[in-house]
Amino acid sequence: MTPSYRMQYSKKGPARYISHLDLLRSFERAGRRAGLPLAFSQGFNPHPKISFAAPLGVGTAGEAEYADIELTADLPVGEVFRALSGVLPEGLRLLEVRSIPDQSTSLMAAVDCATYRALANLSRPFGRKELDSAISSFMARPEIWAERKLKTGGKKKQNIRPGIFTLSGKSENDIIILEAELKAGSNGNVRFEEVLEALMETVDLPLKSGFVLSRTGVFTRFGEEKKALWQDY
Amino acid sequence: MDLLEQILPLVQKPARYTGGEWNIVRKDWAKADIKVAFAFPDVYEVGMSHLGLQILYHVVNSRSDALMERVFAPWPDMEEKMREHGLPLFALESYRPVRDFDVIAFTLQYEMCYSNVLNMLDLAGIPLRSNLRGEEHPLVIAGGPCAFNPEPLADFIDLFVIGEGEEAIEDFLDSYREAKSRNLARKDFLTEAARVPGVYVPSLYRVEYRADGEISKVEPVLEGVPEVVEKRVVRDLDKVPFPTRPVVPSTQIVHDRIMIEVLRGCTRGCRFCQAGMIYRPVREKKPATVLRQAAELVRQTGYDEISLTSLSTSDYTPVRSVITALIKEHAGCGVGVSLPSLRVDNFSMELAKEVQKVRRSSITLAPEAGTQRLRDVINKGVTEEDLMAATEVAFREGWQAVKLYFMIGLPTETNEDLDGIIRLAREVLAGGKKAGARRGRLRVTVSVSSFVPKAHTPFQWEPQLPLAVLKERQAYLAAGLRERGLVFNYHDTAVSFMEAVFARGDRRLGAVLENAFHLGCKFDGWSENFYFEKWLEAFRQAGLEPGWYAYRRYEYNRVLPWEHIRSGLSKQYLMLEHQRALAGETTDDCRTGACSGCGLCPGLEVEPDYAGGEGDAQLPDAVQ
Repeated sequence: MTPSYRMQYSKKGPARYISHLDLLRSFERAGRRAGLPLAFSQGFNPHPKISFAAPLGVGTAGEAEYADIELTADLPVGEVFRALSGVLPEGLRLLEVRSIPDQSTSLMAAVDCATYRALANLSRPFGRKELDSAISSFMARPEIWAERKLKTGGKKKQNIRPGIFTLSGKSENDIIILEAELKAGSNGNVRFEEVLEALMETVDLPLKSGFVLSRTGVFTRFGEEKKALWQDY
Repeated sequence: MDLLEQILPLVQKPARYTGGEWNIVRKDWAKADIKVAFAFPDVYEVGMSHLGLQILYHVVNSRSDALMERVFAPWPDMEEKMREHGLPLFALESYRPVRDFDVIAFTLQYEMCYSNVLNMLDLAGIPLRSNLRGEEHPLVIAGGPCAFNPEPLADFIDLFVIGEGEEAIEDFLDSYREAKSRNLARKDFLTEAARVPGVYVPSLYRVEYRADGEISKVEPVLEGVPEVVEKRVVRDLDKVPFPTRPVVPSTQIVHDRIMIEVLRGCTRGCRFCQAGMIYRPVREKKPATVLRQAAELVRQTGYDEISLTSLSTSDYTPVRSVITALIKEHAGCGVGVSLPSLRVDNFSMELAKEVQKVRRSSITLAPEAGTQRLRDVINKGVTEEDLMAATEVAFREGWQAVKLYFMIGLPTETNEDLDGIIRLAREVLAGGKKAGARRGRLRVTVSVSSFVPKAHTPFQWEPQLPLAVLKERQAYLAAGLRERGLVFNYHDTAVSFMEAVFARGDRRLGAVLENAFHLGCKFDGWSENFYFEKWLEAFRQAGLEPGWYAYRRYEYNRVLPWEHIRSGLSKQYLMLEHQRALAGETTDDCRTGACSGCGLCPGLEVEPDYAGGEGDAQLPDAVQ
C-alpha cells in the first residue's frame, strides 16, 4: 500500500467551470508542480491515483469537497498541504489535508448525502409565507418525478422525492436563497437542478436571473447522524 | 451578479470563457502604458494550443510598460448569448471589453479564420474597416503565416507584422509608446510605424489594376514608406525569449502538453509547403537550452508530456541525445516525450520507438504523393523503399494503426499518381498483415487533402484543379481504397477552393469577406459551420468570380498581389524551382547538398545555425 491523503478543498470562481475529468488533470498537474511523488496505476495508460468523493456539476461551486491522493513516499501532512496549496489554479483552494489509514472505505463509497445552496435575484420581493407554504406543499408530495437522460440516448423518469431530505428557503428584498440536503453517492444521487426545476413548476417566483449553485458539504451517515468525511475512521 | 455568470451556465464548455488558468498574468491596468489583447480567431482549445501565443504573451508581459491579455472567438452558442445580453467581446485576464485595449493583435494561422476576425471585431464593437475607425478605437494589427499575403484583409487590419514576431513586437511597442507620449494621431503613428522593419501598413499602399483585372502596380502613397516590406527573422534561437511559465489551461485543449521549439525553419524544400519557404533559414536550439527549458517547464506546468516541436523534428541535429537525456531526467515522474512530425524513414521510426515506450497510438507519415515521379515534382525526398521500411519497423514494434497523408490535385498529377496512392496504401496494409498485426486492430488510414497553391512557394503560380475534378479524384480513390483495414478520409473540396482563393487573393476580396460576415459566415474551418452557398453569395454580391483567383495560372511577368511582401527568397529561385518541378528535377536540401541559391542568407544577412556537434540525425540519401 502506498501512503494516502485525504484533501478537503473548495472549488469556486473560475474553477467552478472545471469539469470532473479536467479536475483530475488539474490535481495531477498541481501535484507535479508541487513536486509530490504521485503514485500511478499500472498498465498501458498509467494515471495518477486520485479519487473524488462525488462529481460536482459544471458551474456548481463546492465549498468543502473531498479527494484522496496516493503518493509513493510517506510525507508529513503539513508538507503535502504546503506544497499543494501554492500551485492550484485560481478558485481551487486547499482547506485541509489528513493522512488516511490503509484499510479505510473508499471515499466514493462513504458518501451518503450532500447539502446545497442556490441563490437568485428577484425582480420584486417575494413573501416569506408564500415561499414557506410553497415549499411545504412541495415536500408533502409523495412523489416528485424528474426526467433523466440515459447514456443510451433515451430518457427515464425517476422519483426523486425520497432523495430530498430537507428543503428550506428565505427571501430578502430582491434575493432568494434555497437550501437543501439531498441524497448523494453511488447508491443514488439527486441533483439540486432537478429539485429546483420541479419546484419552479409549482411556484411562480419572480426570478430575474438563473440560480447560482453551491454544494456546501458532502457527508456520510451514521444512522440518523450526518458526519463530515473525516469521520470515517 | 454579473452578466457573464448568468450566461456561462447556458453554454457548452464554459471553461473556454472563464480565465483563471495556472500561470495566467494579471497586470495592473492603470500602470501599463500599452494594453494589448492577443486575439486568436478560433475557439479556445485551438488557440491555446498555439505556441506563438504563449511566446508573445511572455514577451509583452515581461515589459514593465505593457500588458497582454487573451481573447478567443466565442463558439456560436456563446456568441448568441453575448449578443442577446449585450455582452461585448472581453479578454480573459481582466474581463474587460476588448475595445478598451490600445491594440488588438490577431494571429492569422489559416485562411479560413478570416470570417472570425471580422466577427470578433464586430462582437467587440469595433468598426470592421480601418478607415472607419477613429482615435477612440484600438489599433488592429495582425501577424502569422497568412500575413505573408495580407491583401484580402488589407481593408480591416491597420498594420501587419511580417515574419517572426518576438523581436518585431518589441520594436512595434517601442514606437507605439513613443508615439503615445507625443500624442500622435492614429494616422501619423501608422505612417511612422510603416518604417519599422517588418511592418506593413496596407492603407499606405495603392494598388492599380489593368483592364484584364490583373494588378499593374503596388506602390506607397507617401514618401518614406518602404516600397517593399521584408520579413523579420530571429537570429539566435538560444537568446530569444521563450516562455517557461506558459498558461496551463484547466480544460483539455488540442495540444495539451509542454511544447518546446527545438528548431525553426526547414530546408527540405517541398515545393508546395509555405512554412518551409517562409520560415527559413534553419536555426537550431542548443541541447543545453532545450534541457534547461524542459526542466523549468515540467516544474512550472505539471504537464506529463514534452513535445519537441518544429516543422521537422527528426531533422534536429542532436535529436537523439536530447530525447535520451529528457527521458532519463523526466520519465521517473511520469513525464513522456513526443514528436509531432516524423519523416518517412527508418531513423524517425527508431526515434518514435524510443519516445513511445509509455503511450502508444497511431503513427503518422506523409509521403504526400503516390508515385516517385510526382514526389520528385514536389521535391518530397521520400522513396517507396523509405515508406515500406518505415512502416515495417512501425508494425514490428507494435503499432497497429498507420496514418498516411497524401495530397491530390498537385501540378502534373495523372491517374497513375492516384493509382500509386491506392497501391502504396494496400502495400502498407499487406506489410502490416505480414508483420502479424492483429486483423481486427490493423488499420491504415489514408488522409487526402487537396493541393492549395500558396504565396511565396514555387507553386504560387499554379492553378488549383476545379472543384468538380477534385471531387472525381476523391471518388476514384474512395473506390480503390475499399478494403477491410483501410480507412479513407478526405477534405471538403469547397473549403480547399476557398483557401486557394484567399491564399492567392488581392485586396478586392475585402468586399467578399465583409459580405460573408454579414451573411453569417464564421468558424469556416469547422465543417459543421462551413456554408459554401453563403460564400458563393458573398462573391456574387461583390461581383467577383472566385474561380478567377483559384483556377487561373498566374504569369511570371505579372505583379503578384503579395509582390511587395518579401520572404527573403528571390523570385528567380521560386521560378527556377517551379520549372525544375515541371521537369521532374529534385533540388538538394541545403543542409547537406549544395546551396540551392534561394537568396535568403545574403538577402537578409543571416545564416543557418545548427546546434553543432557530430549530430545524431542521419541525413537521408534519398535526395540526389
